[in-house]
Amino acid sequence: MEAAASKRPLLLRLVEDYWGILLLLLAWQLWVVLNRFNPIVMPTPVAVLGDLVDHPMVYVRNVGITLAVAAFGLIAGMAVGTGLAVAAWFSPVASGLLNPLTVLFSSVPVVALIPVIARLLGYDTSTVLAIVVIITFFPSFVFASSGLRSPPPGSEDLFRVLGASRLSVLWRLALPAAMPNLAIAFKLAAAHAILAAMVAEFLMGTSGLGYLFAKTKSDFQTEQAFGASVVATVISATAFLLAGLVEKRVRARYA
Amino acid sequence: MTAGARNALLGAMGIALFLALWETIGQLKLAGISWPPLSAVLEMLTDEGRRPLFQRALVATLQETAQGYLWGTTAGLALAALAHLVPPLRRGSDRLAAVLNSVPSIALGPIFLVLLSRDSTPAAVSSIHVFFIVFVSMGSGLQRATPAHRDLFAVLGADRLKRFWRLELPAALPALASGLRLAWPAALIGAIIGEWFGASRGIGILIINAMQNFQIVLLWCAVLLAVGASLVFYGLLTLLERAAYARFG
Repeated sequence: MEAAASKRPLLLRLVEDYWGILLLLLAWQLWVVLNRFNPIVMPTPVAVLGDLVDHPMVYVRNVGITLAVAAFGLIAGMAVGTGLAVAAWFSPVASGLLNPLTVLFSSVPVVALIPVIARLLGYDTSTVLAIVVIITFFPSFVFASSGLRSPPPGSEDLFRVLGASRLSVLWRLALPAAMPNLAIAFKLAAAHAILAAMVAEFLMGTSGLGYLFAKTKSDFQTEQAFGASVVATVISATAFLLAGLVEKRVRARYA
Repeated sequence: MTAGARNALLGAMGIALFLALWETIGQLKLAGISWPPLSAVLEMLTDEGRRPLFQRALVATLQETAQGYLWGTTAGLALAALAHLVPPLRRGSDRLAAVLNSVPSIALGPIFLVLLSRDSTPAAVSSIHVFFIVFVSMGSGLQRATPAHRDLFAVLGADRLKRFWRLELPAALPALASGLRLAWPAALIGAIIGEWFGASRGIGILIINAMQNFQIVLLWCAVLLAVGASLVFYGLLTLLERAAYARFG
C-alpha cells in the first residue's frame, strides 16, 4: 500500500492527502480578499505567514514555554492517572470508591474549572500546569484501569499456578498488558494538553502561546494573534501525529 | 451482598466522601477564602432572588450547545459517509479533521465572530469540537461490518449504496453512540469558550464575570451549573449508547 502510494506523482499525493486543508486555506484567502476585510479584523493566511517569517523569535519563545508546561503536565497527569489505576487494581475497595467519581469527573467541562483553580493556585503557570494535569489524568486513569484488567486470557491462571506474588503479577503481566491502552490515552491527551494549556494561558497566564494570542488580539496585532493560532494548530496536529506513531510502536511491542 | 450492590454502595460512599471533604475544607478554610463550603454554594444556587440569573444563563448555554451539537453531528456524519463511500477522499478528510481539531478554540472564537455573528459564535465553536469526535467514531464504526457480511451482500448483488444503508450504517451505530456521548461535554466546553467572545448571556459569561469581580461563591455556582448541564445529558446519552450496543452491538 505504502510502496504503491510513493510511486504516484508527488503532486497527486499532496492533493489526495491535503485537499481538505488546501481548500480551507484557499477559502480563507478568498473570503478575506473578496470581502475586503481590514487586516485588523481578519488577516489573510498569506499575511499571517508573512508575520511568522518576520518575527520568528516572538513565536519561538512562547512556543517553548507552552510546550514545556504541556509536556510536564502530560507526564505528571499520566503518572497520577496510572498510579491511581494501579491502586484501584490492588484494592477492590479503592476501585469501588474511585470508579463512579472518575466517571463523574470525566464529564466535567474542565475549562469551567480554570477560574476556580486560578483562585486557589494563583494567576500564573502553576494553574496552567494544573489544568494540563487534570485534562491528562482522566484518560490515563480510565484507559490504564481497563488495560490492567484485561491481560491475555489464561495468563492470570498461569501466574497463580506458578505462585507469583501480586506485585510480580502487576509488574510482569498487568502493566505490560496495559501498555497499549496507555498509549491510546497518551495519543488522546497529547494534542489536548497543548490546547488546554493555551486556553488556560489565554485566561490568566503571563506567558506562552495563549497569552501571546490574548495580548496581540487586544493590541489589534491580529496577524500575530492568528500566527500564534496557526503555530498552535501545527504543533498540536504534529503532537497528535507523533503520539499516533508512538501508539503504533507500543502496540507492536506489547500487543 | 452481590458484587453489583457492593460496588454501588462503595461508589455512593466515594461520592459522599468527596462531597464531605469539599464541605470540610470550606468550613475550616483550609484552602483559604477561595474554597467556599458546598453548603454555601448550594444555598446561593437555590436562592429565589438569583434564580432568573441562573435560569437565563443555563437556558442560553444549553441552546447554544444543542445547536452546535446538531451542526457538528451533521457535518461529522456527512464527511465520514463521504470519505467512506469515496475512498480517494479518505486520507485528505482524515487530515482535514485532525487539523480542524488542532485549531485552538480561542482562535475559533474571533474567526466565527467575523464569519457569523456574536450570537452564533458559541454554537459554531461547539460544533467544531463535536464534528471531530463524531467524524472519528463514525469513521471507525463504518469499518466494523465483518468481511463475511460484506461478501454476503456482494453475492446477493447489493450495490455500494445499498450495502451502506443496510449493513455498514447499522453496524456503525454503537460506535457512533459512544461518540455522541463523548461529544456532549466537548460541545459544552465549546459553547462556554465561544461565549467569551461577546455573547450576551450564558454560563461562560457568568464564569468570566464572577472571576473578574472576585465573586467566589457565584463562580462556584456557575461551575456547578456547567457540571450539572454536562452530567445530565452525558447520563442520558450513556443510556442511548447502551441501547445501541444492545440492539446493534
